[in-house]
Amino acid sequence: MASTAERLEKLIAENLEVDGQPINLPEDLNASLLEAGVSSMELVAFGRLVSREFNVAFSPEDCANINSVQGLIEHIDSQAG
Amino acid sequence: MPASVAGCWWRPFRTVDRATVLHVDLTAHAAREAEAWAWLDEEEQARWQRYQHDGPRRRFALCRAALRAVLCRQLDCYNEQLAFSASDHGKPYAVVQGVAAPVSFNISHSGAHGLIAVAAAGRLGVDVEERRAPRDLDGLISSVLGPDEQAELALARGCRKLHLFFNFWTIKEALIKALGLGLALDMSRFEIPSAMRRGKTTSIFQFPQMPTVRWRLEDLGNEHFAAAIAHELAPDSN
Repeated sequence: MASTAERLEKLIAENLEVDGQPINLPEDLNASLLEAGVSSMELVAFGRLVSREFNVAFSPEDCANINSVQGLIEHIDSQAG
Repeated sequence: MPASVAGCWWRPFRTVDRATVLHVDLTAHAAREAEAWAWLDEEEQARWQRYQHDGPRRRFALCRAALRAVLCRQLDCYNEQLAFSASDHGKPYAVVQGVAAPVSFNISHSGAHGLIAVAAAGRLGVDVEERRAPRDLDGLISSVLGPDEQAELALARGCRKLHLFFNFWTIKEALIKALGLGLALDMSRFEIPSAMRRGKTTSIFQFPQMPTVRWRLEDLGNEHFAAAIAHELAPDSN
């Protein structure tokens, strides 16, 4: 069974791009996808995708508090149990 | 601020009441990028380094250097005296010699276009988007638009639908950025004024939850991009 980080990495590679180029999971998981060059519109669309893929919900407060890829992984894992 | 040897890559774009909006040319230009990079402080240069791709790196450097030039002029300070800090939700503000500066600004970029909005007072948000069809347009429409906005888009097809969506998005995003709450505010919980949904380019807006605060909205879009500005009105303004 792939870890959350591995599944997220695949989802990012398949669905997010910057100027037509795929982006990679940041080396520093404390970085945000916005810092990788992803726009806020793409981020909202990606949030919908993550929500479906992992069957997790995001409240507006969650969206405000998740400031990094690591934060997103922890949010997904916290709802999986 | 040293005189630009690569020529200014920003220029006045619009004046909206007491706010000035500048357009920043973000097309690839090695000399401008080198000059912009030199204007950044150490923290900004480190952030520039962290970007994975050239495009975001270029857009960040050119916009941030242009912002520095504009603010130095507005605040009558040297580039070395100017720094940036951020609110809890990440909205940046200017600091001169350790003190928060009396200026309001906001910045946005998309593709080859950047916009910088500056005013002496009042919260300010600006958004610009090149109109490239997102992967999940219908999903975005259902996520970020309110019922009346969705009904308006349901009547549109093809390019018109995309154009309207970007129009609505930029106005809502400008409001959210002006508030400084980031994604903490559910975009579908408020709707832009009906007059603007039907083509009017300016309006006054109040969030239902904050009826005493009024915002001046203006559609700044043109044939190249969708864009909008939201500026908090002074309590005594008409």
